[in-house]
Amino acid sequence: MTHPAAASQATTPPALQAIGISKAFVSGKLRTQVLENFSLRIEAGELTLISGPSGCGKSTLLAILSGLQKVDSGRVLALGSELGQLDLRALERFRLQHTGFVFQGFNLFPALSAFEQVELPLNHMGLSRDEARARARRSLEEVGMAPRMKLRPSELSGGEKQRVAIARALAKEPELLFADEPTSALDAANGQMIIDILHRIAHAHGTTVLCVSHDPRVVVHADRVLAMEDGRILSDRRTHAPTNDSKGT
Amino acid sequence: MVALARKTLIYEWRRFLPAMLAVGFAGLLQLLQLALVLGIFGSTSVYITGSSADVWVGYPGTQNVGSGRTIDPDVESRILMDPAVQRVEPYIWVDGDWRGPHETGGISVFVSGIDPSPEGLMFSKALLPSLRARLAEPDAVVVDRSVLDQLGVNIGETATINGHQVTVVGISSGLRALGGVNVLTSLSTARELDGDPTDIGPTYLVAKLRDPKQADAVAARLRGDTAFGPYTTWSAKDFARISVRYWMFDTGAGAGVLFLAGIVFLVGAVITSQTLIAAVNGSMREYATLNALGVGVGALRRVVLEQAFWVGALGLLGAGVLGVVLMLLAHSQDVPVVLNVPAALACIALVMGLAAVSGLAAMRSLRRADPATLLR
Repeated sequence: MTHPAAASQATTPPALQAIGISKAFVSGKLRTQVLENFSLRIEAGELTLISGPSGCGKSTLLAILSGLQKVDSGRVLALGSELGQLDLRALERFRLQHTGFVFQGFNLFPALSAFEQVELPLNHMGLSRDEARARARRSLEEVGMAPRMKLRPSELSGGEKQRVAIARALAKEPELLFADEPTSALDAANGQMIIDILHRIAHAHGTTVLCVSHDPRVVVHADRVLAMEDGRILSDRRTHAPTNDSKGT
Repeated sequence: MVALARKTLIYEWRRFLPAMLAVGFAGLLQLLQLALVLGIFGSTSVYITGSSADVWVGYPGTQNVGSGRTIDPDVESRILMDPAVQRVEPYIWVDGDWRGPHETGGISVFVSGIDPSPEGLMFSKALLPSLRARLAEPDAVVVDRSVLDQLGVNIGETATINGHQVTVVGISSGLRALGGVNVLTSLSTARELDGDPTDIGPTYLVAKLRDPKQADAVAARLRGDTAFGPYTTWSAKDFARISVRYWMFDTGAGAGVLFLAGIVFLVGAVITSQTLIAAVNGSMREYATLNALGVGVGALRRVVLEQAFWVGALGLLGAGVLGVVLMLLAHSQDVPVVLNVPAALACIALVMGLAAVSGLAAMRSLRRADPATLLR
């Protein structure tokens, strides 16, 4: 039953692809090999979760796949572009056009209202003022923050702040959305809400969502779960048929 | 466009306050020092600025009004021959030793011998016509109000200058001198007071032109003729500038101003840059997030520079308001303070330069806004 789906997946190019990448960190005389000859394909329009104990290399993998960090060797393809061949400017431009980020800390500017937080990156995308504002409003509505969009971070709860951070990433309408431990600073209800939103983004917008988390609640909602340890993938499983799900809803 | 720099500045004003204060006080300090120096040394050119002459004629190489030497009296006819000249009059400078009616000891005075007629050019702006007319009496002198105590005289009393008796017939104001006391008298009295029999000509000739705008051209035209012995010419503006500059640099005050400007710049820049760097560090994670979202480092730098600009502008505003208040206070206390447009512009340039340097220093710390550090 998964045959036709698997066949179609093999022909469509992956959203993200790592081919034989290696990455080591040097601190003083100590050299730590985090990833060695590591390969991975991430399919478009899915919520992919990378989980594993801290220090397993999952955050490094996220940084590499999102173009925030360079590899020592190997190739990284994102939406068909080879990230290793882009210079700093080109990488910034690539991130501006194609990627969104959600971090564990919400990283919102204290002086700006929720609406301004979301509008700010859009100003740099070359959108008209009206278009930027319309997108910011839509995005805040989507995460249920429209009624509180005039408030500053100090007036928002943790869950609300993370929803603003997601809206900020979402408003760019990125093909790739990277999330690093998006729920670990939140209580159960808020964590659940964030997971629901990320899941919905993947399926409603066809966005490739790559999430790093060790939160067991996320596992249930992910289309694909990669368990990592010591720089290797221990298991790679799909929780339910991704093609059926994305086409069906 | 979301005004991140300004909104942060307003919302986190406490964070930026030390920088604004540093900039403001740096500006204020420099402003007041400059105003004081200009005020004190400006008085060395009061002979020129208080008169309505457009062109001055004096001995070549004269570095300030007080160090002139006599020139040939026949130069006057040479000057009068120029069609642009409307009026010429002599001005005699005599260094004198004052002995007052009371015990004051010897006081060195600068005697200015001027034409006391109503159309006289010398001190026409500093001397009331009635006071000027009284100088026509033989041995009459006018002294400044600020030095009455120093000279130990009052109006109507007599004293001696270089052993010659004079009578104080009036009191002027705004004619303070540096390093001595100004005494005004008529040309004929001044000649009597001059103990040197070889001094036959005037110290200066001052000329009024039909068109004052031509002062530079006429001064240049009259220069270089040696038929009447050595003399040279300056436009009044140039001579005043030479005089003030002589005092500024001869006394080391100019070097003092520049030195303090350097110190003020350094201290201001250190405090301001540290404050801005702390502000940037406080928002480092947010900046890094923006960079992760693809907002370029250049745009982030502009935010920091804009903050530095506003810190400079607000500091300047505070310094300006406080500066005006202090200048008014100084004026009311007879403290000589003068501020002209170039000096004010120099202070503004210093303060904004300081803010810019601080902004650039703070911009460097943005290098640490590496989004990869947000992933742990």
